[in-house]
Amino acid sequence: MPEETATPLLEVKGLGKRFGGFVALEGIELTIAKGERLGLIGPNGSGKSTLVNCLCGTLHNETGTVAFAGKSLNGLIAHERTRLGLARSFQLPKPFHSLNLIDNIRIPLLYTVNARHRQHHLSAAAIAERCEELLSHVNLADKARRRPRDLTQVEMRKLELARAVATQPTLLFADEAMAGLSHSEIEEILAVLMRLNDEGITIVLIEHIMSAVMSFSTRLVVLVAGHKIADGLPQEAIRNPEVEKAYLGE
Amino acid sequence: MRNWVFWAVLVAVGLVFVVVSRLTIANDYFYFAGYVVLEYVVLATAWNILGGYTGYTNFGTGAFFAAGAYSSVVLFKLPPLLLATFNWTIPAMPLPVMIAVGGVVSGLIGLGTGYLTLRLRGVFFAIATLALSIVLQTLIVNWAFVGGSRGVFVIRPALAPLGGGYIQYLFSLMTLLAVIAVGIARSIERSRLGLGFHAIRDDELAAEAAGVPTLRLKLISTTISGALMGMAGAPLPYFVTYLTPTASFDLAYAVNSVAMPVIGGMTSWIGPVIGAILLGTLQQLGTVGFFLDLKLDPTFNLLIVGLLLIGFVIIAPNGIVGLVQSWLRRGEA
Repeated sequence: MPEETATPLLEVKGLGKRFGGFVALEGIELTIAKGERLGLIGPNGSGKSTLVNCLCGTLHNETGTVAFAGKSLNGLIAHERTRLGLARSFQLPKPFHSLNLIDNIRIPLLYTVNARHRQHHLSAAAIAERCEELLSHVNLADKARRRPRDLTQVEMRKLELARAVATQPTLLFADEAMAGLSHSEIEEILAVLMRLNDEGITIVLIEHIMSAVMSFSTRLVVLVAGHKIADGLPQEAIRNPEVEKAYLGE
Repeated sequence: MRNWVFWAVLVAVGLVFVVVSRLTIANDYFYFAGYVVLEYVVLATAWNILGGYTGYTNFGTGAFFAAGAYSSVVLFKLPPLLLATFNWTIPAMPLPVMIAVGGVVSGLIGLGTGYLTLRLRGVFFAIATLALSIVLQTLIVNWAFVGGSRGVFVIRPALAPLGGGYIQYLFSLMTLLAVIAVGIARSIERSRLGLGFHAIRDDELAAEAAGVPTLRLKLISTTISGALMGMAGAPLPYFVTYLTPTASFDLAYAVNSVAMPVIGGMTSWIGPVIGAILLGTLQQLGTVGFFLDLKLDPTFNLLIVGLLLIGFVIIAPNGIVGLVQSWLRRGEA
């Protein structure tokens, strides 16, 4: 496990989110170091996706602060956070269905990578090359000219990941990237995520499939009913009595 | 085709169209009818930038169009007013300047409306734009300076530029506007901006996550779309010479500018052009009683549009362009 550096990559302090009278998240403290593979688990409705939405700017947290690489994210909207290096995939894939796969990937390249480096823009040729490269990394190169409706479930998940990775993130939230997939398909997605982590991307995996989470994560965070109840090495975290209670009942 | 080549071809087509018409057709009616069809090319193309590319349905075409028309009325009435109140003499405004001003006014209305309403999605945005139309019409009806509900007479200059009559001049200007509108639409389609619009149309959350500044892009879209509609409306007072709120805010503008892109096809610049030429011409023919033999009264004009719209939405939701594309694909397979 990488050692904690002076400034953590992501630092969440006292984060809270309500929907009307319903408290979705309360007092969330979370620190993520660069290079980590963090598993985020919890029963349905425990606030995992809400947390990701708050961190990525899709939702606004009423209380608490979020700092990314030492910079406060408060008040920044989603695309500004993406440009800082925070990417996500969606729980239900949200491809741009009227565009072919290449154009799906071109959008983050044009709007995030090129917006980030205003001085040296990628040329049209460089973008085309990068699109092909990103698609071939997830074995979608032969479908580059197809539209998302021609893809299978697992391919859709891969497109979702490729589009997130195209933003050249330093931190990637993979929100249930494997739900509903077969065993071999899960292995495929895990391999993709592992490779991305080797390339230096810090990854937060939100997942229900425990075998996948356990084999992937270097650290595990457990949310139950909007509270963080465990944070530590995966094997220790799942043996935590509170976690057992939440998952198995008393 | 490269962008500048397309622009060059487009300008050449517009020029040839005007010159050949002027040389071969003497009948004034052709220019009247042609003006209306070209006006719809501009309106449908402008509507499609927001409605087709960005995915926001605008039922307020009448508002943007009339705002352009009434900004021309204000500019027309300004020199006599200044002379009477302050004894200032300013020359009468030429029509191209009025068109530019109309574009700016409606562009700003687009920007403002966009800012207030773009948090609304789908049908709620459509309703808001319809409301805008009603609000603006009420303002004009109660504004005596521009004629109020009685309407206003606008006197054409005695001499038309470019030789020929004034209607020929208006026809030439509207051709130019159509060229500009189609050129802009096509340039957007092939650009980074157009790709961003498509991303918004497909999924706004995913667009934001990919780094697309969705609010800014939607404002750009409403502004461009509104500005082009205003430019199309600016020459209207000189076309009708007697302008009333009921005529300029006519629901037919809103219905047509939605129906034409839907029937032509909303994914490409050519769709609204095809839709506008087809429906515009059909309606012109209907107006002069071309279908009287079929026992179709001229007032059946909007009925034709309505029936075609329903038919296309059910049978060919991607419009004529979509039909041709799928037919070509079948040819390949």
